[in-house]
Amino acid sequence: MNTNMTASLPSNAPTGTGSRANSLASTGMTNLKWLIRRELWEHKGAFFWAPLAVSVALVLVLGGGFLYGIMHAGSFHFQMGEHQVAVHGVPHAMRARLASVVASSYLAVAAPLFLVLPVVVFFYCLAALYDDRRDRSILFWKSLPLSDRDIVLSKVIVALLVAPLVVIGTGVATSLVLLALGLVAAALNDINLIVPVLSDMRLYLSPLYLLSFLPLYIIWALPTVGWLLLVSSWAKSKVFLWAVGMPVVILAILSWFDFLMSRFSGVSLGAKWLGNEVVARMLGGLFPGIWFGEVDKSALVQMQNGLDAGLLLNISYSTLASPAVWIAAAAGCAMIAGAVRLRRWRDEG
Amino acid sequence: MSAVLSARGLTKRYGKQVAVDGIDFEIPAGRIVGLIGPNGSGKTTTLKAALGLIPFEGELSVLGFDPRTQRDELMQDVCFIADVAILPRWLRVRDAIDFVAGVHPRFDRSKAERYIANTKLTPTMKVKQMSKGMIVQLHLALVMAIDARLLVLDEPTLGLDIIYRKSFYQNLLEDYFDEDKTIVITTHQVEEVEHILTDLLFIRDGKIALSATMEEIGERYVEVMVSADKVAAASALQPIDQRTVFGKSVMLFDARRAGGLSREQLTALGEVRNPSVADLFVATMKGTYA
Repeated sequence: MNTNMTASLPSNAPTGTGSRANSLASTGMTNLKWLIRRELWEHKGAFFWAPLAVSVALVLVLGGGFLYGIMHAGSFHFQMGEHQVAVHGVPHAMRARLASVVASSYLAVAAPLFLVLPVVVFFYCLAALYDDRRDRSILFWKSLPLSDRDIVLSKVIVALLVAPLVVIGTGVATSLVLLALGLVAAALNDINLIVPVLSDMRLYLSPLYLLSFLPLYIIWALPTVGWLLLVSSWAKSKVFLWAVGMPVVILAILSWFDFLMSRFSGVSLGAKWLGNEVVARMLGGLFPGIWFGEVDKSALVQMQNGLDAGLLLNISYSTLASPAVWIAAAAGCAMIAGAVRLRRWRDEG
Repeated sequence: MSAVLSARGLTKRYGKQVAVDGIDFEIPAGRIVGLIGPNGSGKTTTLKAALGLIPFEGELSVLGFDPRTQRDELMQDVCFIADVAILPRWLRVRDAIDFVAGVHPRFDRSKAERYIANTKLTPTMKVKQMSKGMIVQLHLALVMAIDARLLVLDEPTLGLDIIYRKSFYQNLLEDYFDEDKTIVITTHQVEEVEHILTDLLFIRDGKIALSATMEEIGERYVEVMVSADKVAAASALQPIDQRTVFGKSVMLFDARRAGGLSREQLTALGEVRNPSVADLFVATMKGTYA
């Protein structure tokens, strides 16, 4: 027994430290997994039921509209550009164009879901590091071997990855249901688009295109998520007022100063710059497509045959050429790190 | 390692207010220590410092770790119940067990489940549906299934009725405590914990007023029911406290006061017994609120 132990000790020692480092890394990962699960338990309503409710409403209202169309109208009304098109047994070219629009743009029908996303994530981030201090349950979480870094990181992952993925998934599913309903409704009205739509590759590629916006979305959303988590970690009360009120009031004061000074001299405190480059990024980054504020819109107007997803992606990702985007994202990461540090010494209240 | 918790010159200031004023103490392994003091005396602050929840000055070592810089390591071996009813309202019993089992390497799932099976808790129940007592049962089931070397309980039974309080301490003693573990308890309800404590630490105005094992307390402090004719003689021996029960004077003596007092001296005065911790506490804290 004794000799055994002394013999095995030296050979075990190096592997022991190695496996300790390994096990620390793997506990980090399992902890993150559990923390993310924890977030989803707490916010099931916001992350699952809210998108689901919107999706059901879309299916009921729009799908109901299609059914109504089948029953009551002999013709199929269609808004295309500025023209209201009423279609009864359409010419071949028109049908092809219609199919092209449908196959490439059907995901746009789920747009309301992408308005729910920023609202849900905004309030989620604001409450993320504050609510458990208010109800004192932070003391329970702090009684477990969880690092502040992992806790904050789990919230960042939920805000930037899990929530958008859920919405993308729900959006695609909703769009497909509505597409099916729409195709059937149209077919029953003698506009059979089923074959041309199903044979259009873009039908299948659209979800992938949508997914490929996610990295860009994350980069643009980082400053907002960072700012909200920082305030959520720092504020002793009234998180919304601090997060939204403070930048807006500062902006208002600077704008007023600039407005008054512009009458007499060229002196400016740069309120406009602050508004566009700082406050907008701090508060608006969660809106999908905020980057379109920085692109040349003329390119977008030309899409006649539905959305050109490749072009859209191209234009969107070209905003990454601007250093301001990266500086803002880096500031977002810094604010997240700040939230972790503040969390270290925060307890109830 | 001898001391589980040792403090040297531990100080905590909130602005100009000194909450803990340079205290020293040591808590060895395998003890159940009552950290007892009036409101605002610095008990909770001391515990928060030990748990790495607040920054502080001075030296503090918990299981060999500095709670300021090594909190993540420390929390592998320490657990605490800071207060009752702090479990998040949305948490389900089932999820709570899964979560702690997932993140805590020292959690014994079957132990927690066994404990919960003896309560009215059901796996799908949420904390917001529970009574205060049930929340404590859940919290306790989670914490007692963690094989922590140090357990800190800060007012664990505040606001609970007597039945829950009794079973709380009973469970703690029967199912949890062993010679490798150390428990630190703060409470107002001294009389409920005195029979389970091995050590007492009285704290007053941020300073340690008394630090002793229960055996030392038993040897050192003596309560005497002084017969009426010996009151004057008894008073001459400088009791640290004096009250009247049914017309009889009850005096508390510190046998180790300057000069020393022998049991024989005291027995001569009347019926001798060991004081309750509550009486000792009141005597020690005399004038705190004056």
